[in-house]
Amino acid sequence: MEILMGLRARLRAFFRPAAADRELNDEIGFHIDLETDKNVRLGMAPTEARRVAVAHFGGVQRVREEHHDVRRPHWIDDAVSDVRFALRSLRRTPGLTAAAVVTLALGIGANAAIFSAVNAVVLQPLPVPHSEQLMMLWEENPEKNWYKQTAAPANYLDWREQIPAFQDIAAYADFPARATLTGRGDPQLLTLARVTGNFFSVASIRPVLGRALTDDETWSNNQTRSAVLSFRGWRDRFGSDASIVGKTIQLNGRGVQVVGVMPQGFALPFEDVDAWLAIGWDPADRADVSFRRAHWIRAIGRLKPGVSRAQANVQLQAVMGRLKVQYPETNKFMGAGMTPLQEFLVGDTRLPLLVLMAAVALLLLIACANVGNLLLIQAAGRGREAALRLALGAGRFRLVRQAITESLVLSAIGGACGLVLGWAGTHVLQNMQPAQMLRVSHFGVDRTVLAYVVLVTTVSGLLFGLAPALWTRHRDPAEALKNGSRSGSQGRRVKRWGDALVIGEVALALVMTVGAGLLVRSFWQLRHVDPGFEAEGVLAVDVGLSQRYDSIAKMTTFWTQVLERGRALPGVTHAALVSDIPLTGTTYTSDFIAAGRPAAGYMAEVGHRQVSADYFATMQVPLLLGRTFTAADRRSAPRVVLINSALAKSYFRGQDPIGQRVTYDKVPNDKSVWRTIVGVVGDEHQSALNTAAKIEFLEPDEQEVSAQNYILLKTTGDPAALTPAVRQIVHDLDPSLAILSSRPMTAVRDDALARARFLTTLLLAFAVVGLVLSIVGVYGLLAQLSRNRTREMGIRLALGAPQSGVRWLVIRHGLGVTAAGLCIGGAVTLVASRAMTALLFNVPPNDPLTLATVAALLAATSLVAAWIPARKASNADPASALRSD
Amino acid sequence: MAPDQSDVLRGTLDLLILKTLTLEPMHGWGIGARIQQFSRGLLDVNQGSLYPALQRLEQRGWIASDWQQTENNRRAKYYKLTASGRRAVGAETASWRRYVEAVEFILDIA
Repeated sequence: MEILMGLRARLRAFFRPAAADRELNDEIGFHIDLETDKNVRLGMAPTEARRVAVAHFGGVQRVREEHHDVRRPHWIDDAVSDVRFALRSLRRTPGLTAAAVVTLALGIGANAAIFSAVNAVVLQPLPVPHSEQLMMLWEENPEKNWYKQTAAPANYLDWREQIPAFQDIAAYADFPARATLTGRGDPQLLTLARVTGNFFSVASIRPVLGRALTDDETWSNNQTRSAVLSFRGWRDRFGSDASIVGKTIQLNGRGVQVVGVMPQGFALPFEDVDAWLAIGWDPADRADVSFRRAHWIRAIGRLKPGVSRAQANVQLQAVMGRLKVQYPETNKFMGAGMTPLQEFLVGDTRLPLLVLMAAVALLLLIACANVGNLLLIQAAGRGREAALRLALGAGRFRLVRQAITESLVLSAIGGACGLVLGWAGTHVLQNMQPAQMLRVSHFGVDRTVLAYVVLVTTVSGLLFGLAPALWTRHRDPAEALKNGSRSGSQGRRVKRWGDALVIGEVALALVMTVGAGLLVRSFWQLRHVDPGFEAEGVLAVDVGLSQRYDSIAKMTTFWTQVLERGRALPGVTHAALVSDIPLTGTTYTSDFIAAGRPAAGYMAEVGHRQVSADYFATMQVPLLLGRTFTAADRRSAPRVVLINSALAKSYFRGQDPIGQRVTYDKVPNDKSVWRTIVGVVGDEHQSALNTAAKIEFLEPDEQEVSAQNYILLKTTGDPAALTPAVRQIVHDLDPSLAILSSRPMTAVRDDALARARFLTTLLLAFAVVGLVLSIVGVYGLLAQLSRNRTREMGIRLALGAPQSGVRWLVIRHGLGVTAAGLCIGGAVTLVASRAMTALLFNVPPNDPLTLATVAALLAATSLVAAWIPARKASNADPASALRSD
Repeated sequence: MAPDQSDVLRGTLDLLILKTLTLEPMHGWGIGARIQQFSRGLLDVNQGSLYPALQRLEQRGWIASDWQQTENNRRAKYYKLTASGRRAVGAETASWRRYVEAVEFILDIA
């Protein structure tokens, strides 16, 4: 208590010496004034009174100095001299200092980089006011295996009107739309978010220019559609044109009026959004069944202040209950729920980030153990110095403090270097991360990251300073002085501490490396998944038609001409259209039923894609039964369809599907359109490599015309080289069209592995560093051991022990330590790796093969690390070893 | 002032300051004047030692200070006893009494 009370005065005096001096001057001045007054009252003349007062006070300067002496706190003096001493002793051993600083910088740098990502993605609140009030409302349907899925517009509108817990609820179309901007130089491709009119008011974001959308723009009233630009879109696409508000721009050949620009940093719901477009629903659709059946929007609600999520959820459930009764056809199995928006957006990024965070924490622990070991060896080497200081009367506490100061100074240097490394690391991470994975494209070293680095640095300084400090405390000066630094009980104590640290290091390295090993195995499995198509030599060019193509005939003509010209390009062997390429997961789904089957009993959603006749030859998707499409399957011909093998197996179960008729309604009626199955083709992984192929229908593109298609060109040469030629073809046919994207299918396939590759690469890199550090630890321990026992080895050799026996002494010690570390690490791994289950593909978290391989690797490398000092020990020259101190 | 005297004096000065402050918060000059007054003029506090002593006591957390207006509307630094300072008065007084007793005892014997 006293210390606390006095501390304030001391700190002020220390940090603001000028102010303290000023105060003292005032105080003395006041004192002399009063004394003068007193003297005057006693009858002195004023000047005389003052002179006597000053004389009585004594030397003012002396008082000041004495005051200073009292004021200057000893502990700060001590700390300053401790730091100086630490710097001196670090300079004395530059090799050791450098090794420790590099080790710490690696550990702290990795932490800073990963933490900056965690900070930006998980910890920083969304850039909107009171983001904790924002909830993502979703729908689920156990019958269709939907969870946290998109909502149907009609359900959303009912929520908005009937849930009083929310101030308001906004919605946006779940997929970003891409549109071609024309009329401003070259056509540019914009990323659009289609949102309800109240989107910005729910987000509580005001525009920096113009206005936001208005509530009534949720509905199209035959007026011009409004668009609000994102700051980025305004800057990059429109050159920060200050007069943009009120102008009409051409998007996909249609006029859209720019009404406002949003502030920098606001980029919901898509990080790369260029503009928000009013969703413009047709009021006439509201009663239509499709408005409640098709799920494609996301709803974001803002809770009223003081209303809890649980209360809101009760009201949401009540509404869903009513809808079930009111609209059984669409809502019988629909459920709904809500998740805080931030949590929802972070979603599946959280686990990878946490795993990486755990990995860098382990890495830092290994680094600390290594540095602790170095310091311990150094402390042992300086045993005499410490003993001497003790004998001369230095307090034990003071010695411990000295040791801790030294490690804190070391960690501060390491931390500063680590911060630089970490800062560089954030840039590497940003460039390396797969598109959209972290949801933020930029994260840097801000105040939170800085605070984290300072904390981590201090904690690690204390951690690795602990062992040498405690060891110092236990020293018996008499014995240390008697024995010198290399033998006796202190030596044993050092060894025990050192062993413990290295065992810990090996254990941690095992945990890390097994984690990385599991990901590598999983990545390997993923790489060898057959995607169901052959990507080599195929270029996929995404083209979307504009509003000008307002009839089936116009669209078909365009697609037919594109295919004809594409096929004529040199080197091209096949050309085909497909509405969605595999591994990107954007197909739409519906109900279906085959003629003559009961409506109930089969509950899955089926996917749909439209393909041209050549698709299967282009992508080498095998035909398993029946036939593929031909030129005869035109619009006027009877409707036909192909199914994939998954659908044939799960729905038709051994029956011959060929010739069966299907419709896309759940319960067929007289308006149902029936199609005949003409063949079965192989499965393609539609959405990702790690999810199984879904059941799907493939329809001929001329019978089911799409305004957006991928043009696939199979070539004998380099597919990417075809891009300019395809661009030219599209431009020749219609100069107002832009290509949405053009990528070889091999790139699409690689992108499907990008996330796994990112995580695996990072974790592997950390594991390698951890592994190397721990092996260096083993080496350092044994090198020190054999150095300390040179004399003993010399005696053994002199007495006729074989070199191999001496060597074995050292190696045995190394193996013992490694084995202990592996046992502890193995036990920890079996528990800890379970956390990674969701990241693994076709590999169990306790995969014995990975564990055994990694353990063997660690054992082998530490054997090598033991071999070097062992050989040195066994080569000791007995004569010189015996002479040495 | 000889150094051996000052040591003794310093100990008593601290105690006298603390004791004086048990009455009410006071500024430096007031403390000096009060000690002189209480000792019926027998003790004249060396004003030069007063301020370092006050500083020392403040750092030990026994007294606290702040700037206030005096009756004559001047700014002065007032010192007051803290809770731990109040406890210290008791302990210091007892220790002083033992010391005096011991000295008396020796003087009587000799």
